[in-house]
Amino acid sequence: MRLMLLALTLGLATSTAFASGEHAGSHSSADAADVDRTIRFEAGDMWFEPEGLDIAPGETIRFEIVNTGNLEHEFVIGDAEAQAAHRKMMQEMSGSHGDGHAGHGGHDMAEGEHGGVMPAVTIAPGETAELVWTAPGNVDTLEYACNIPGHYESGMSGNIDFQG
Amino acid sequence: MASSRVITHPLSRRQLLKGGAALGIGSAAALGLRPAWANPWGQANTYAKGIEEGPEVALAIRRESLDIDGKQARPISINGTSPGPLIRLKEGQDAVLRVTNLLDEPTSIHWHGLILPPGMDGVPGVSFAGIEPGETFTYRIPIRQNGTYWYHSHSGMQEQLGHAGPLIIDAAEREPFRYDREHVLLLTDWTFEDPMSVFRNLKTAEGYYNFQERTIADFFADVREKGFAATADMRGMWAKMRMSSRDIADVTGSTYTYLLNGHSPGENWTALFKAGERIRLRVINGSAMSYFDVRIPGLKMTVVAADGQPVQPVPVDEFRIAVAETYDVLVTPEDDTAYTIFAESMDRSGYARATLAPREGMESDIPERRRIADRGMEAMGAHGMAGMDHSGMEGMDHSGMEGMDHSGMEGMDHSGMEGMDHSGMQGMDHGGGGMTKETSKTRENGMLASGEAQPGSRYGQAGIGIDPEERRVLVYRDLKAFTPWPDRREPGREMELHLTGNMERYMWSFDGKKFSEVTGPIHFEKDERLRLILVNDTMMEHPIHLHGMWMELENGQGELIPRKHTLNVKPGERVSALITADAEGSWAFHCHLLYHMDAGMFRVVKVS
Repeated sequence: MRLMLLALTLGLATSTAFASGEHAGSHSSADAADVDRTIRFEAGDMWFEPEGLDIAPGETIRFEIVNTGNLEHEFVIGDAEAQAAHRKMMQEMSGSHGDGHAGHGGHDMAEGEHGGVMPAVTIAPGETAELVWTAPGNVDTLEYACNIPGHYESGMSGNIDFQG
Repeated sequence: MASSRVITHPLSRRQLLKGGAALGIGSAAALGLRPAWANPWGQANTYAKGIEEGPEVALAIRRESLDIDGKQARPISINGTSPGPLIRLKEGQDAVLRVTNLLDEPTSIHWHGLILPPGMDGVPGVSFAGIEPGETFTYRIPIRQNGTYWYHSHSGMQEQLGHAGPLIIDAAEREPFRYDREHVLLLTDWTFEDPMSVFRNLKTAEGYYNFQERTIADFFADVREKGFAATADMRGMWAKMRMSSRDIADVTGSTYTYLLNGHSPGENWTALFKAGERIRLRVINGSAMSYFDVRIPGLKMTVVAADGQPVQPVPVDEFRIAVAETYDVLVTPEDDTAYTIFAESMDRSGYARATLAPREGMESDIPERRRIADRGMEAMGAHGMAGMDHSGMEGMDHSGMEGMDHSGMEGMDHSGMEGMDHSGMQGMDHGGGGMTKETSKTRENGMLASGEAQPGSRYGQAGIGIDPEERRVLVYRDLKAFTPWPDRREPGREMELHLTGNMERYMWSFDGKKFSEVTGPIHFEKDERLRLILVNDTMMEHPIHLHGMWMELENGQGELIPRKHTLNVKPGERVSALITADAEGSWAFHCHLLYHMDAGMFRVVKVS
């Protein structure tokens, strides 16, 4: 299974438009140095553990997401609208008549509607993926979600609340 | 009866966080996390049928006067309601269900979809003697599964009199989805006629309840569209087959009042929610004869379980539910507004309706019913094609069919079809037959590999009268398990059964033989793994139900095929299921259309 690692450092961000960072299987040592903390996530069928997050604005976080389920999952960070747009796109890509490919196909990036790219990682069953992300300074709430058709609707999402 | 029980398993932390505090289970009730009938907000008619919780349940069966759709009726009641109360059990329990017969005739309860000891299955004459008037029978059932099921009488026509109810088994472990609230939606078809006279009417004149036969006006409309010759040919063909292209259902809205949780469309049963909640709807088709197409305009439904078994989630706009099937769907209404739950009968002769609303007394628009569809030529499917001129079919890929065992087809009765004129069929679409599209994997012994779709199956189609272009409709091919089922063996043999019927005389059967005409049971070798192939030689859908064992529907999903207790076989379709014959004993196997079963579409399967 292809494991896509998208390391993003978000220097500036509005509430909706995210800058796209470098797109690589390895992240620079600078990332590691800047990480404020590591949060371990579990992606199961069909849930995330933890089910909610509190984060300080500007905090840089390394997410380690282990997929303990039987299905492929993704972990995408963005606002509710961008997530919904991404979900709609993935639903359309999955074909409308049950051709049986619930899989991800050519999806390699969680495109938001606002011209930006949401930090995203796709994780095969049994695999662990990493995502380094710096929280923006000026939003109240974001969502993390798996937008593979049906997964969000079954409960694979959580809110990120920003303190302060 | 209305208990204030708290569901403990689906407590969503997200929901609790929304509440702003780390709430304990005790206060979860304040958020409304309770079963539908125990809630909402003191409403009396929310599944007014009450709830009976396991492991020990006592049920009393009576015939009594109750109002249905505001009119006096004489249904069969269970603990005073019709349909009966919700029975709620837990996976891992050893349930003890005491059923007391207060009728003046024998009765029974079959626990539809449960894997249980053969003596507890509740089919008179097959699993036990039945329950005599005045007697109490104690069912003892180790509950080793979970999900949405139902129960009903297996005696005579009692099911048509409302002798049915929902059966929910709460999971021992986390289910593969989360929700904040749940509602059970039990669909039934009620008639104020005596079921015996419905049956007599059907025997006397098959189209008795069909007022939708094509008329002379349709004829001229067809002539305009298709030209005189083609129209005349088409009509002649249907006439020769003694079938009507509008026979979608035998018994229709002309006698039926379609009910949702016992309530008519006008009574508008209401399920309450709070905006933003994720709601699990457990939809059960407990009808005697009616298929429904279910949708909630304005809401996407995500199908998460079929026949009580979890499936990988499928977001849809509509799904067809065959008689005796169950589907669990999730919806998340974001707005503080009312939504119509609309269950249109497949033949479009009526509908059941309820409302999903944030408050009592709200309603939304009721969609227009669609027009009745004509049975297309695909309804003639496999058997219709036997006598066809195949000259135009060159280039078809038959490779997947090599080694197919046609031996079981010798006994087929094509007599009714002689003299058919196929000239009008040149435009037939064979694409849906799966013959050209699907390259089938064949094993050395000539049988298809496990999980492969049979040539002649139409798992990609929902069926007649549904337009997949209009909205996203669930089809059997969508159903996919999370993990393979325990028995990974390839089938050791295939058994082919034809679904057969004589419409005019209302005779329904397997392989041309009514139950009264067969000499013995169908034999499954204990612990064998076999493939059951069902070929529908009739013009109607049949929901085929096997008791005691799962059927793994070979819908092309390989090792992730779903397992079901009831398989809808469309007209002319050929479907297959893998079965592990691990349940020693005698089991019923039948079409779940009540009058078809009674007419003879019934067999006993003996596992020994």
